[in-house]
Amino acid sequence: MRPILLAICVTVTIMMLGATIEAQERDPIDVSALGPQIGERVPDFSLPDQHGRIQTLESIMGENGAMILFHRSADW
Amino acid sequence: MELQDRFDELEAQGLGAVAISYDREEVLAAFAERKGIATLPLLSDDDSAVIRAFGIYNTVAEEGVGPRADDPDVKADVAQYVSVFGANPMIVGTPYPGTFIVDREGRVTSRFFEEFYRERNTAANIMLKLGTPVSPIAGTQGETSHLAINAYQSNPDITVGTRFHLGLEITPMAGMHVYAPGAHELGYRVIRLELDTPDFIRLLPLQYPASDIYHFEPLDERVPVYQDRFTLVQEVVVAASPEAAEALANLDALTLTGRLDYQACDDRVCFDPASVPLTWTLTVEPLDRQRASQPR
Repeated sequence: MRPILLAICVTVTIMMLGATIEAQERDPIDVSALGPQIGERVPDFSLPDQHGRIQTLESIMGENGAMILFHRSADW
Repeated sequence: MELQDRFDELEAQGLGAVAISYDREEVLAAFAERKGIATLPLLSDDDSAVIRAFGIYNTVAEEGVGPRADDPDVKADVAQYVSVFGANPMIVGTPYPGTFIVDREGRVTSRFFEEFYRERNTAANIMLKLGTPVSPIAGTQGETSHLAINAYQSNPDITVGTRFHLGLEITPMAGMHVYAPGAHELGYRVIRLELDTPDFIRLLPLQYPASDIYHFEPLDERVPVYQDRFTLVQEVVVAASPEAAEALANLDALTLTGRLDYQACDDRVCFDPASVPLTWTLTVEPLDRQRASQPR
C-alpha cells in the first residue's frame, strides 16, 4: 500500500473509532436541569380530570398560584 | 393521597393544586373512587404530550427497554430513575416525578425534583420549604424549668422514600435564652437534636432559624441566642432501597427517639446542660400495589 493511501486509511479508521466512541457516550441525567426553571413560565395544558372535566392551567390556578405535581402512575 | 388531604389548606393559602400522570381517565376515576379523591384534580395525560411539553419525560424508561438496554450506564440510570427492579415497558411514558410551584402568571417560583425516583417530598414538606407550613401533626409537649417544647411531625405516616420533617417548637421561659449556631466558637453549647435512627433513615442537617445577638456585659461578649419562640426543623428521608422496603414491611409503626441537648442561661446564671428525651411515632404505610380494575 502506498504511504499516502495508508495514511488516509489510518485517518479514516481513527475518525470512525472516534465516531463510535462518541455515539456510545450518554449525557448524564440531571433532573434539576429538566423542565421550566425558576422564573420561567410553564406550558399551558388542557387535560381531562378523574370526573371527565377538562382542566387547564387557568382553571386550576389559585389566587396566589398553583402546585403542579407530576407522578408516575396512580395505577402501579 | 396526601395532596388531597392538604388540598383545602393549600386552597386557603390561595394555591391551586393538580396531579398529572400518564394514566388513562378510567384508571384515574377508579383510583379517585378508591382513595376518596374528590376535589384534587387528577389529570390524564395519556399520550404523555404535556409531560413532554414540560420537558420532564423520563427518557431512561425508554432507553431501558430499547437497543441499549444492556449498557451498564443505562442499567445504572434505570435503577436510579426508573425502577430498582429493572426496566419495564409499562413505565415508558412516565415523567421524572416532581413538583412545580408557579405564581399566578404560571412562572415557576420553586421546583422539587429528586435524584432518586423513589424519594418524594411530601406536600407538607414542600409547604414548609416555601415558608408557608401547613398544619402539622401534633406530637408530644413538655416543659423543663427553662423551656416549653412542642414536638410535631409534618406527616402522620411514612413509606419507602418519604421525605418529611420533624419539628420542635421551643419557647424559652421568661428571661431565659439558649445558644444558637455561632455560639460554639465562644465556648457555649449550641442547642441541638440528636436522633437515634435505623439504617434506612437518613437525616439532613438540622435547620436553625435566624437568631438574636445577646450582649453579655460582664465579658462584653455578643453571642447568638434564641430568647423568643423558635422552631428547629429536622428533615428526614426514608431510604428507598430494597433493604429499607424489607425493614419497613415488618413494621406497623416507626418510633424515632432522640434528645434535645441545650444549655440555658438567664442574665445572671447559666444552668447545667440539659438533655430532654423525645419521641415521634409514625405509622408505616405499605406501598399501594393495588391496581385499577382495567390495567393500562
